[in-house]
Amino acid sequence: MSTAALSKKDFESDQDVRWCPGCGDYMVLAQLQQLLPTLGIARENFVFISGIGCSSRFPYYMNTYGMHGIHGRAPAIASGLKLARPELSVWVVTGDGDALAIGGNHFIHAMRRNVDVKIILLNNRIYGLTKGQYSPTSEQGKKTRSTPAGSIDRPFNPVALALGAGASFVARTVDNDLALMGQVLARAAAHRGTAFVEVLQNCMVFNDGAYRAITDKATRNDARLVLEQGQPLVFGKEKDRGIRLCGLEPQVVRLGEAGVTKADLLVHDERQAHAVLAGLLAQLPAPQFPVPLGVFRAVIEPAYDEMNSRLHEQACTSKGRGNLGRLLNGGDIWTIEQPALGAHHGFDD
Amino acid sequence: MALMINADCVNCAACEPECPNSAISAGDPVYVIDSDKCTECVGYFAESQCIDACPVECIIPNPERVETKEQLQRKFEQLLTAES
Repeated sequence: MSTAALSKKDFESDQDVRWCPGCGDYMVLAQLQQLLPTLGIARENFVFISGIGCSSRFPYYMNTYGMHGIHGRAPAIASGLKLARPELSVWVVTGDGDALAIGGNHFIHAMRRNVDVKIILLNNRIYGLTKGQYSPTSEQGKKTRSTPAGSIDRPFNPVALALGAGASFVARTVDNDLALMGQVLARAAAHRGTAFVEVLQNCMVFNDGAYRAITDKATRNDARLVLEQGQPLVFGKEKDRGIRLCGLEPQVVRLGEAGVTKADLLVHDERQAHAVLAGLLAQLPAPQFPVPLGVFRAVIEPAYDEMNSRLHEQACTSKGRGNLGRLLNGGDIWTIEQPALGAHHGFDD
Repeated sequence: MALMINADCVNCAACEPECPNSAISAGDPVYVIDSDKCTECVGYFAESQCIDACPVECIIPNPERVETKEQLQRKFEQLLTAES
């Protein structure tokens, strides 16, 4: 199939989109449907895989292949698919409950393995589908239907978690900034390896205003900082504030005050081999610091699927192609040979 | 002037139930505002409700339907009369 003629419309399915009016999910859907036709990939080579939750309705609305999987297991299905069919562009759409509660284990291992899969986490800090219980990203003290006296759980920071698990591409964006989301998703699509994007997203019904400070026209420019590769960390409506390091402690400073210039500020480097700067930025506490958005980390690491293909080829070369039928029907009796006396048995290694 | 929805619309439907004139409906490719029914909420509210509700700020004045506050007020009254 030709990819030249693809448009946004080609990626819209015939299903009625059933999210609540105003939900951030619509914004991610629209941006992805806009991005995919520009990637030069045939439509039949895209696959969207999800788990359970509002976000996980995604595959129904994409006119691509897709699989609505089981809760929290989308990264496992996606990893398996990418290993079996490396030519496919495999995307996971998940939420804060699906990825970080029941799917926490799959999530961290997807991050460390670096299979070439794109994982978009729609983080609204609440369980929306089940009508408003606290999630692993709900802030401490949050009153929900399951925490009437306020949550005492310490929340996960998805970006810091992904960095800690060794992800090679980590980014964060916010639902209502369509231009920034488009740029971040395009960067994720171009990355070779696991690409993780957290979308800070409003839930109109159960957590309205979850990110008001960074989405509201009046406050957003002072409450967020858009990361740009090689650029000093400047923010504010007037671009008059920045972040500098004092020892290992970040500080907000005002440009022009006490002789502070742009040269004193931290400079963003998403390509650091270690993730020290990215980790520091990911953990800046709000509202004392602005919320960083954009690409935290983008480094080139060997992709798991490529390494796996090489292993497979090597095994075929040295031992010949395997035969699954013969393996499965190979009998259930085998012999354990007694090692010669004094031989190294290997258990103490 | 009447309002319009630009191409940034993500079809989230947040605006539709907010319109006191029922001027907003799902369109192709995005939601549309019927200029003949839009009063910018003149007659009902001080602020345009759809602009407040839209999460992606894609509702803007329609440059092809320039109207004064007085004209919008008259449109509101005409719509009420037509309804009754």
